[in-house]
Amino acid sequence: MRRTILALMKKEFFQVIRDRNMLRVIFVMPVVQLMVLGYAINVDVKNIYTAVYDYDRSELSREYQKSLATGNYFVVESSDLPLLDAAHGLEDNSYNVALVIPPGFSQDLSLSKSVKVGFIVDGANANSASIATGYANVITSQFNKKVTGFIPPLSIRQKRLYNPEGESVYFMVPGIVTLLLTMITVMLTSMAIVREREIGTLEQLLVTPIKTPALILGKTIPFAIIGFLEMSLALFIGILWFNIPFAGSWALLYGLSFLFLFTTLGIGMFISTVSKTQQQAMFYAWFFSVFAILTSGFFTPIENMPQSVQYITYLNPLRYFMKIVRGIMMKAATLEHLYVEVAAMIIFGLVIFTFSWMRFSKRTK
Amino acid sequence: MNVVVVENLSKRYGSIIAVDNFNFSANEGEILALVGPDGAGKTSIFRSVCGLLNYDSGSIAVSGYNVSREFDKVKPHLGYMPQNFSLYPDLSVEENLFFYAGMFGLKKKEFSEKKKHLYQFSGLGPFYDRRAGALSGGMKQKLALSCALVHDPKVLMLDEPTTGVDPLSRRQFWDILKELRNSGSTIIVSTPYMDEVALSDRAIFIFDGKKLAEGTPAELPRLFSGKAYRADVTPTHELMEKLGKIDGLSSRRFGSSVHIYVAENDALENYDSQLETLGIQRDALHEIPPDLEDTFIQLMGR
Repeated sequence: MRRTILALMKKEFFQVIRDRNMLRVIFVMPVVQLMVLGYAINVDVKNIYTAVYDYDRSELSREYQKSLATGNYFVVESSDLPLLDAAHGLEDNSYNVALVIPPGFSQDLSLSKSVKVGFIVDGANANSASIATGYANVITSQFNKKVTGFIPPLSIRQKRLYNPEGESVYFMVPGIVTLLLTMITVMLTSMAIVREREIGTLEQLLVTPIKTPALILGKTIPFAIIGFLEMSLALFIGILWFNIPFAGSWALLYGLSFLFLFTTLGIGMFISTVSKTQQQAMFYAWFFSVFAILTSGFFTPIENMPQSVQYITYLNPLRYFMKIVRGIMMKAATLEHLYVEVAAMIIFGLVIFTFSWMRFSKRTK
Repeated sequence: MNVVVVENLSKRYGSIIAVDNFNFSANEGEILALVGPDGAGKTSIFRSVCGLLNYDSGSIAVSGYNVSREFDKVKPHLGYMPQNFSLYPDLSVEENLFFYAGMFGLKKKEFSEKKKHLYQFSGLGPFYDRRAGALSGGMKQKLALSCALVHDPKVLMLDEPTTGVDPLSRRQFWDILKELRNSGSTIIVSTPYMDEVALSDRAIFIFDGKKLAEGTPAELPRLFSGKAYRADVTPTHELMEKLGKIDGLSSRRFGSSVHIYVAENDALENYDSQLETLGIQRDALHEIPPDLEDTFIQLMGR
């Protein structure tokens, strides 16, 4: 049994090494994803181009503009166009925000009268719109303090734990690790099995004395190993290049990744039982991966999703693993903190792996 | 001794009956050919014997073990070469062999001995490093055969091994089969080619999932009843169609001539005028001894 599994694994590795495209996918994909996503996906909104319609033209209004421009958040430019044209600039993306300072701004403020400043944002990008509004609110309230000297009795003092600078990369890299593990294992496993069926070798294998368990292990272990390599490569780049802190236990992360692989390998196997061709397998693997990643809390917090979708995410193993990876890497979470996710993953892994195992055995008989 | 015994085998796919109450057995040390056109049920029979198909009824025994109940005991005795090219095209010749040796649990040392022997008869030695996908059709088949032989099976099941292979390679392939047969292997081979039937020890004609006839290549043509004639005319489509309309005669295009069959209690003379109107003169017709293909066609039509 051991010898047959080893022979099968060896063959699987040979085939991966021979396939240049596959090699590229395995080793270039994590690097590209990390570089692109690490830099590009930035939840911080910077350089918001702001057109200012200043109808006050006072010293105070200029000072207000200046305070907006400090920090890298807003790039302020005054506009001479009539106000009615404000929307055009948003349409053609020449700026993201239009700020309207009404006449009498400075006078009313000095009389401690309430003044409203217009802040027209581009709602097409809902995320950056609300972030820009948030920044503007903070800056405005600071400006208030400075001008009126009035300090509101109640205020918030913020202290960010685990990621004090609020770096998106810290948050993204653990997510990318999850994504890579999922895509590679689901896709490679399903395609490797379907390829055997396509070229007819699966039939040949079934006539050899290899037992179904050995066949399944021999076909899944190589991809688990590749998955671990991928994960290590991604972590390596994340830590060395992006200087991401790794707060928790490496052993725990790898141990729980192993658990997670049960689910993805199980899903890969399942896909292989419903696909006739490699293209079909690839399509299903993509469909699953995209769906699972979008509902995993990778980009948008699960809490923001509608309640009905939130229920669906409970069926998504990535949801649990995403939390585990981020928890271990950023917050040094231990089993004590993660037992719910771990339990969910064990149940998930066992159910899917056993189910796919049974389906696979039936299909091969 | 019967190494393979198939009794009352039946398999249907929906309303299509692929194998209909089929019986046959193969003796130790013989080449048994299963002959029939595409869709006759050959592959279903092969897959059933190799434990790959859940047949509906009947029983199959290989080396005395029941295929559906004791398949694990059957496996070491069975070598199977499926119809389609079933090697790993991205692995080399030797890696393919090594892989199958591993599947059958051969140790490294056993493999290197076996390898020498397999290279010797297949002539693949000089190409050990070449990717299987880059081999010629004939060499692919030899490699597939070698892979099916790594574990010294008693029974070799070869499903259309020479389809799509050039005549010279087919010849070589059959020489290898005879050599294996002489060393005691039982070989069951399916083929659509009649010339290969002549090379086998015994053949079974299959059509529509049923057995039409069984016998040695010498015995089978004796099942032909009536007379066979060769007409030296060009077998145009039009001519064949018109010949088909003559009641009592049957005809078949054979390469660049036409074979015409007359039933036992009939005579060719009764059709002289009809044939003449089609441009077939009496002196263009020659009586011939019916061959395997004539026999098969006649049996198929009954």
